Amino acid sequence: MYLEIVSPEATLFSGEVTSVSVPGVNGEFQMLNNHAPVVSILKEGTVKIAGNIELNEDVQDKFSKGNAGETLLKINSGTLEMKDNKVIVLAD
Amino acid sequence: MANLKEIRNRISSVSSTMQITSAMKMVSAAKLKKAQDAITAMRPYADKLTELLQSLSATLDADSGSAYSEQRELKKVLIVPITSNRGLAGAFNSNIIKEVNRLVSETYANQEVSYLTIGKKANDAFKKTNNVIDNKSEVYDDLTFDNVAEIAQLLMDKFVAGEFDKIEIVYNKFKNAATQIVMTEQFLPIVPVEGEANANADYIFEPSKLEIVEELIPKSLKTQLYKGIRDSFASEHGARMTAMHKATDNATELRDQLKLTYNKARQAAITNEILEIVGGAEALNN
Repeated sequence: MYLEIVSPEATLFSGEVTSVSVPGVNGEFQMLNNHAPVVSILKEGTVKIAGNIELNEDVQDKFSKGNAGETLLKINSGTLEMKDNKVIVLAD
Repeated sequence: MANLKEIRNRISSVSSTMQITSAMKMVSAAKLKKAQDAITAMRPYADKLTELLQSLSATLDADSGSAYSEQRELKKVLIVPITSNRGLAGAFNSNIIKEVNRLVSETYANQEVSYLTIGKKANDAFKKTNNVIDNKSEVYDDLTFDNVAEIAQLLMDKFVAGEFDKIEIVYNKFKNAATQIVMTEQFLPIVPVEGEANANADYIFEPSKLEIVEELIPKSLKTQLYKGIRDSFASEHGARMTAMHKATDNATELRDQLKLTYNKARQAAITNEILEIVGGAEALNN
């Protein structure tokens, strides 16, 4: 599925991933391919991206690597929309 | 005939002015590029947020986000003029000040008007009215979304607390390097967004549609203010670049004229000298 993470200051990531896990207001949840359409508010926490991904050099320092090889991004709050295998995370 | 030394002095002073203006032009051009990139970078976020808010609020019943959309009797108005901290940018700042004055004398003639200024130039212009509640010029020192969001939050709090019945922002919208458009945008109460009610594709909403909208509205307001300030920032550099370009052109013209005058004067002086020598030699021969 396609993942796009945008902040007000830059597009942090866009590309194909295998799964993404986000800190929803009611608890963390994970999305895989063909997940049902969802709109959710995110709270402070970490977005975990799994898959073979390449980061843009300009924003690389915002991301870190997790123990299982996943890519992590800390957010303060955000909004998520998933539709037609496309996930858009508005991260603040 | 003008004094040679005088003209020489003027040429050198015009040349050094020219150096300054052309350096300022170059600096502004570089900053403009950065400012433009920042506007482009934030567009996906702003577009997506608006799209989401539109499609959600179109399917919601009215009265959502009521605290920010409440229409009250218009008594107290807050105007937020966004200018730059520095001058030498042509009519950039005075256009904003003119527009605000027009608003105050025409649209809000019967209301009590206060200001929250962003930019030193706006503060300088309006502080003598004694209605400036706050000045946030320092936001330009570190222009990040978080810093702007704080100002937006302050405005929202003031509106919700009933301190003001309407908040307007006035800023220069960036069109291109040479053109800025003065915009007056209603910040609060929010203008209801018109959106087509697309069937929402059976979304799962977490937590609920209403809560999501209520969460999105403050974000969209923050984005609106951030966009305004970003636009103004890019416009400032565009305006300064244009102004400094004109100044450099004028200085070049002036210097060329002075050079011509200088050369004429120099030649006249040489001719004079030759005449004197020839005259003197003639007198000796006789």
